[in-house]
Amino acid sequence: MLVAITSLLLTACGGDESTDQVETPPVETTPPVNLINANAGGPDENKGDCDATTEGVNWNALMTETCRNLSDYNLFQDSMNPTENPSNGGVAFNLAVPLFTDYATKYRFAFIPEGKQIKYSQDEVLEFPVGSVLVKTFTMPADTANRDGEELLIETRLLIHRENGWVARPYYWADVTDAKIAITGKTIENMTTTHKGEVKTFSYSVPKASACTSCHSVVPLSQGPDDTRQPIFKPIGPKARNLNIEHVYLDTTANQLQYLADNQVLVGLPTDISTIDKVDIFNDELDITALPHEQVMDTARAYLDVNCAHCHRSELTIPEENYAGPAGGSGLQLEYNRDYAENPQRFGVCKVAVAGGHADYPADVIPGSPDDSYLLFRMSTNDQRHRMPELGRSTVHGEGVALINYWINNLPSADCSKS
Amino acid sequence: MINSCIFNKQHWKKSLLVSAILATLTISGCADDAIDGANGIDGIQGIDGANGADGADGKNATADPSMVTSSGFAFPADAIFVQPFAVDGEDITDELVLALFEVPAGATVVLPKGNFTVSETIAIAAADNFTLTGYGINETTLDFTNSTGDDGIRFEGGINIAIRDFSVLEANKNGIKVVSANGVYIAYTGTIWNGPLEEDNGAYGLYPLQSQNILIEHNYAYGSADAGVYVGQSNNIVIRDNVAKNNVAGIEIENSTMADVYNNVAIGNTGGILAFDLPGLTQAYGGNIRIFNNEVIANNAENVGSGAVGIVPPGTGMLIFSVSDVEIYNNNFTDNETSSIEIASYFLANDDVSAYPTTYGATMTDGWSPLIKNINIHGNSISRSGADPRGDLVTDIVAGYTLMLGQTMPAILYGGVGESLSNAGVIAGFNALVGADALADGVNYDPYLAEDLVCASGNIDNNSAASSLEFPEVNIGVVYTANPASPALAYETMQGNSNLLSCTQPRLAPAVVTFRGKKYGCLGDDIATLACAL
Repeated sequence: MLVAITSLLLTACGGDESTDQVETPPVETTPPVNLINANAGGPDENKGDCDATTEGVNWNALMTETCRNLSDYNLFQDSMNPTENPSNGGVAFNLAVPLFTDYATKYRFAFIPEGKQIKYSQDEVLEFPVGSVLVKTFTMPADTANRDGEELLIETRLLIHRENGWVARPYYWADVTDAKIAITGKTIENMTTTHKGEVKTFSYSVPKASACTSCHSVVPLSQGPDDTRQPIFKPIGPKARNLNIEHVYLDTTANQLQYLADNQVLVGLPTDISTIDKVDIFNDELDITALPHEQVMDTARAYLDVNCAHCHRSELTIPEENYAGPAGGSGLQLEYNRDYAENPQRFGVCKVAVAGGHADYPADVIPGSPDDSYLLFRMSTNDQRHRMPELGRSTVHGEGVALINYWINNLPSADCSKS
Repeated sequence: MINSCIFNKQHWKKSLLVSAILATLTISGCADDAIDGANGIDGIQGIDGANGADGADGKNATADPSMVTSSGFAFPADAIFVQPFAVDGEDITDELVLALFEVPAGATVVLPKGNFTVSETIAIAAADNFTLTGYGINETTLDFTNSTGDDGIRFEGGINIAIRDFSVLEANKNGIKVVSANGVYIAYTGTIWNGPLEEDNGAYGLYPLQSQNILIEHNYAYGSADAGVYVGQSNNIVIRDNVAKNNVAGIEIENSTMADVYNNVAIGNTGGILAFDLPGLTQAYGGNIRIFNNEVIANNAENVGSGAVGIVPPGTGMLIFSVSDVEIYNNNFTDNETSSIEIASYFLANDDVSAYPTTYGATMTDGWSPLIKNINIHGNSISRSGADPRGDLVTDIVAGYTLMLGQTMPAILYGGVGESLSNAGVIAGFNALVGADALADGVNYDPYLAEDLVCASGNIDNNSAASSLEFPEVNIGVVYTANPASPALAYETMQGNSNLLSCTQPRLAPAVVTFRGKKYGCLGDDIATLACAL
């Protein structure tokens, strides 16, 4: 399958360039290639039609319609397989540290209309042009040790950048033939996977469409009684620091940012990508006890960033002035690019919970005492009253808890630390 | 869960209530698939949102009882009715979610009459002139006992949102949360956790946060393990005519400015009405809070709360904590077993003064201060106060007044260590932490001037002849009068008080809420009412 698609892509690009590359020493003036969205088409001004037959992506339907079937958008060459082979305009990507979702495997693709480009951003999500679609498919592996093996196709979520901003559209795979729009979400009882030899059975939630905004929006920090700004919907994951890893593409293995730039769909990337923030890959197979201390501490910050800071953020580097994450008001703010030493209380250090709280956990983070820290408790419980993140998990991420346990244990001692 | 066509189980043809749009939705949305709603959404978006309904007065009641709530709010002609013939006990989650998804500006969504279950958090983003209503606080209840979500209903952003005429039961976390909205009207709405007050009851009942122009009236909040009615980091707030019962905190105003709290009943809570400024929040401090003409009765529940609210001593009528510019007047206090009015600086909770710059330096730069200044307590009636004083926060103070001095616990109690520290110059160094904006706004650690004082005047011992035998002293008490190093417990009877807290402060400005173009509060619709003339 891989071979067939590779040749197809090369054919589409009008040449046998890999052969040329071998025979000709690379020179800086190599004509630019674009394996991603050349000839991909794009939306025009016309109203979309879910029933339209399109050669590639049904861009107009994405822009204006909520189609019943995922296949109506024609995002994948095989409409029954959203895990590989995107239609022209789509490119796969991974995140160094992903959001935890009940041990699901995630397949991510970005679709960029022909002739459009993503703008680089140092700290925020890359600026995807109008017409872009971020597509994430969730599957549950039979065994997390073998994510290439048997898996259950669950849901495909679309984030669509329309003229008026981003919208979210969740699709649920009730059967293997196609995914259907799931505005009201879906609860799947008795979802099961084997993780490190242990069978986990839980209730998996496909979030309803309206729940997407709970994580995906920033809200206005009111500037007075006449301030009537509304929230802004944003993607979360594809930030430069979190994309700054190698990826195995059909044609090459390359740094993801560099690959996008080389294919002319990303502009503004620093010439020297070693200057870009880079978070290390964190996955469940990683043994943090075998890693350098500094790396674990940094990865913990990256984990908090991806799993918490979409809500727990305020002011810092949000390009729109006077906006914050929906939980910025809690006083707990966990962005990766926030300076810890400047104000540890922002990271929950010695901070009493403002809302709720729990008698056994006197502060969000008590350096040296992870077991007394409310933040870690909230990651470690499934009780809806206390569980964090609020959405997206029914199980406890043991590896994430261990990572944050290490972080709290190794933070500089603070006033509330036990002496 | 989503295993049958969403709307075709409705007897919609029987109903004149169901709008043409809902009929369209019913027909086209149910063509074949179990999981759909796509076409239905197109239908909802087709609604002309301009209804001009006045959410706040509900005057235009019609004769048709199916078109008006028990509080008199008449549904507009283009209202969207959710599952109008649902039977008691039915789970209406999916229908509600579909009706609310990307709901158009100006829409009114009507919950059905009866008792229903909801199995997930209902989240509504960026609502615009939107009304969510049931048929009445007792007529429509949504039970979240088996919900997989945390909050019951949550609004994220939004302009001129009206929430009215239904009750939320047994939410896992908060009952109704509204974050970052401008224009929040909550009326005739209940948030209830039945049974005894326990720590695993939900957190906040009615919970607007980081919002503007908030009018909360005629609601009922029962059983919250945090605050029944809570407004945080918000401005321009009117909370009136509510009943808060059997919560840890009945009504709480936190890090908020321009708030009027009046005509409420706070009964059976741990603390009746609270005003706090907590450190470390985005809106670093509040102020200009007026609490008046409330009934504050028997707030003696044991404190099952955690976090900030966990410090409130059981038996507290009012607690004004670490917040400045507060006026407390013409309230009735009865049967609050610790103290009727407690005023305390943050030093009461954390007395490690030298640690403040490291622990709170950043938030102090933003203007948060542990001090309390300009508190004006006048014209309150107090009876049967201090029968069983207790609570970790005040253990030593209780022991001092009752065991050492043999007095009834003071009905008005001021923990003055902050003032004492300021006057002694001990914390003048904190001034260096205060940022320019906060400094310009008057935040400082200088010795108290007259305008900074905590004042009590004209408060009334309202004990009956019989009660006065049981409560012979109705005192004003001040802890730490001069020497910040050692507490001195001063007291004086409230009637004829001439030394302790004997001063007055200028009256504070009323709060004004603007909602859908109308003004509410003592400079708005209540301009002629008795409470506003006090």
